[in-house]
Amino acid sequence: MILDTQPIETSGRFDPANGTAKSVVTSDATRDVTRSPMVPTSELRPSHGKSSRRLSREESDALGRELDAIRAEVLADLGERDVAHIRAVMKASGAAAIAGRTLLHFGIDPVTFVLGTSALGVAKILENMEIGHNVMHGQYDWTGDPALRGAAYEWDIVCPGDDWRSSHNYEHHTFTNILGKDRDIGYQFLRVADEQPWEMRHLAQPVTALALAVFFEWGVGMHDLRVAETTRGEQSVAELWRRSGPFLAKAGWQVAKDYVVFPLIAGPNAPRVLAGNVLANVARNLWTFSVIFCGHFPEGVRVYTEEETKDESRGEWYVRQINGSANLDGSRWMHLMTGHLSHQIEHHLFPDLPAARYPEIAPRVRAICERYGQVYATGSLPAQLADVAKRIVRLSWPRRGKRAPSAAAA
Amino acid sequence: MLSTIERRLSATLRDARRTAARRFLVDRQTGLWRSELAWLGVRSRDHARITAVLDETPDTRTLVLEPPRGWVPHRPGQWTRVEIELAGVRTSRCYSLSSAPHDPELRITVKRVPNGRVSGRLHALRAGDALRISPAEGQFVLPTHPARLLLLSGGSGITPMRAMWRALLESDAADVVIVHHARTRADVIFGAELDALAKRRGFRVVVRLDDEHARPGEGGFDEGALRTAVPDLFAGSAGSAADLEEREVFVCGPPAMMQRVEAMGLPRLHVERFAAMPRPAADPDATEVLVTLGGRASPSGRTLPARTDGTLLDQLEAAGERPASGCRMGLCRTCSCLKRSGTVRHAISGAISDAPDEIIQLCVSVPCTDVELGPIVQAAVHSAMPHERAAERTLDPREKLARRSTQKVDPR
Ligand SMILES: Cc1cc2nc3c(=O)[nH]c(=O)nc-3n(C[C@H](O)[C@H](O)[C@H](O)COP(=O)(O)OP(=O)(O)OC[C@H]3O[C@@H](n4cnc5c(N)ncnc54)[C@H](O)[C@@H]3O)c2cc1C
Ligand code: FES
Repeated sequence: MILDTQPIETSGRFDPANGTAKSVVTSDATRDVTRSPMVPTSELRPSHGKSSRRLSREESDALGRELDAIRAEVLADLGERDVAHIRAVMKASGAAAIAGRTLLHFGIDPVTFVLGTSALGVAKILENMEIGHNVMHGQYDWTGDPALRGAAYEWDIVCPGDDWRSSHNYEHHTFTNILGKDRDIGYQFLRVADEQPWEMRHLAQPVTALALAVFFEWGVGMHDLRVAETTRGEQSVAELWRRSGPFLAKAGWQVAKDYVVFPLIAGPNAPRVLAGNVLANVARNLWTFSVIFCGHFPEGVRVYTEEETKDESRGEWYVRQINGSANLDGSRWMHLMTGHLSHQIEHHLFPDLPAARYPEIAPRVRAICERYGQVYATGSLPAQLADVAKRIVRLSWPRRGKRAPSAAAA
Repeated sequence: MLSTIERRLSATLRDARRTAARRFLVDRQTGLWRSELAWLGVRSRDHARITAVLDETPDTRTLVLEPPRGWVPHRPGQWTRVEIELAGVRTSRCYSLSSAPHDPELRITVKRVPNGRVSGRLHALRAGDALRISPAEGQFVLPTHPARLLLLSGGSGITPMRAMWRALLESDAADVVIVHHARTRADVIFGAELDALAKRRGFRVVVRLDDEHARPGEGGFDEGALRTAVPDLFAGSAGSAADLEEREVFVCGPPAMMQRVEAMGLPRLHVERFAAMPRPAADPDATEVLVTLGGRASPSGRTLPARTDGTLLDQLEAAGERPASGCRMGLCRTCSCLKRSGTVRHAISGAISDAPDEIIQLCVSVPCTDVELGPIVQAAVHSAMPHERAAERTLDPREKLARRSTQKVDPR
């Protein structure tokens, strides 16, 4: 992968003359923060009675250095343990898939149907979350194992890996929660932040959100086609067609696999296998939808404008990641089944560290957030999901929404 | 005609089968369970299994291997890349095959170097363990019709020679001189075999030992040692050139020995290097030049100072770059890179590259002038660091698009 490796140091101004960053840190980290150059245009919404303190650039950069230290520590410690973990999960997922399909294909009773469908669902969830998502982030590139190579991994959903790598790894993780730049905010058709302009179609969003939950992999797959942009005339139909190619190919294979070939080779059991595959995929869709919506859209997670992130330093980038994400509480198994996206905050800070490391560093990240007065949003899955649901319903009405500048301009 | 169609058809079918296996995730499953299947006796395409471990000397062992499925027989003298996992990271080293192509099993013979990561691990392996090995490579091979040969080796450099002499035993080559150098008798690898070989017609074996033949305080192998070992090869029969000038000479040994033999200027010399030359000491006359890295996201690229007494790879790494590299001695070409302009010297051969747009290997290229490089393939390790993405923030959309396409470049 050819990537820029120029060091952008904390608080650094990049100096192209010698290719290094010059530190502009002042020792007075506690100076009056209200004179900070970074004044958000949107107020922080209170989260559980609290909101993040506004940090000066110097404070943000000091926070960034502490996070960099954690990152360096984990990088230096990577080894056998991480590889053993991901291989064990791969085997568990592979074994569950074989077991599930075997039960579906050869069973005739309802018990094996339920067991088989569940096993297949679990296999697909693990494959998507802990394996696919994390491997495709390049979290295991350091191993040199081709089976763990982020740039080549292809996951078991209708979304082509390459589309995901550009739309998610690059756009979403770089421009996290910046209105107008992060296309993941409401996926371009849901209104999940007050700052988004209200439109008539948002009235239907409780229903469209539910539909998205059921067909989530299709939503993810079509995300990068930019259908909404095309209907608004921002993208040509030719470009839409070009972007559709890889998606249609991938989706075709997925449909052929789960809904045509596997049922057909089951012979008389075809309807049973078809039903099991549909249910396993839908279960996986509902689960990933829930986890991902809880990661960025509960109350207390804020969005940013392009203006306020224009001259962001690396430290401020970290601060935005903290305030743009929310964690989920749960057991070890819950973390595994979410692909450790239950540690959304840690994931957004360190997207390329092996995700199984997030629970280990979480207490330290949390302590840093507390020291700097940053809200470390977290809650149980049901509570956060209820929060998200309330927000989607609330924002379907124009009531509290600000009139959008874009609407005014139009 | 019919056979062409048939071949095309079968190729198409094979491709279709592979694509389907990939798309149906069947290949992933087989990959997952490969080691379990190996246990059941199923051979894999890239793993060799150790069937026996033989002690050769106190620090050298031979691993006898069952070749991977579909192994293409090597040519005597070639090497294979052995890959193992060290702390989760795949690491590979080259090892000469010490068995002849017609032998039923493959062999590599490994000397444990002090603190050696891979050689140390290989010495810990047991019969039944599996190793990933690459197809055989290398140009250090016997000529198809060998006439008169001198196989000259030092220490573990004898490993490719064994493959050669075993192949020669099968042919009817009549004149093979083997000169091997070691520190002590106990350090002679394949000692018993050399003794047996000495009795064969057409073979002549001379073993030189530091502790028996060298004068105290001296050591190592040089032209003088070779003259004492095989004086007759230096004398030509009346009016003709010395015997040595007409022999195919194969040499493999420690860097110092290789350097001395190469300095003799033999016309038919074939060399194999196991280890890079010791790094040249910092040259007080070295000057500073500028290296510009091209094809980067940042419009200006990056320019950094470098010295004329170190390789580009070392210096780029010291400057915080992470170019992909493998052998670091000019073999594997992992570090290949386009040189747009400037002059570099090959660290081993001394060859000069001064034409624009030549492919150079960073690990063996020493800059002589300012150098402008093309895009550098980055090491796979930790390539997606968030600060690199943070750097992308400030790019305008056109550059973003350009980067999106470069991000997909496959490093291999
Ligand atoms: C074409 C080719 C064929 C080879 N064939 C053989 C073979 O048949 N048998 C064999 O034993 N080796 C062979 N080698 C050398 C082998 O590839 C490794 O370099 C060697 O085993 C050391 O690897 P390591 O990981 O153990 O040491 P590393 O961990 O890489 O190095 C540890 C230390 O040992 C030093 N070192 C590295 N190599 C040597 C060496 N050869 N002698 C002394 N010190 C060294 C290093 O500079 C370093 O300080 C071959 C190399 C090449 C390029
Ligand atoms: S690193 Fe192998 S050729 Fe340079």
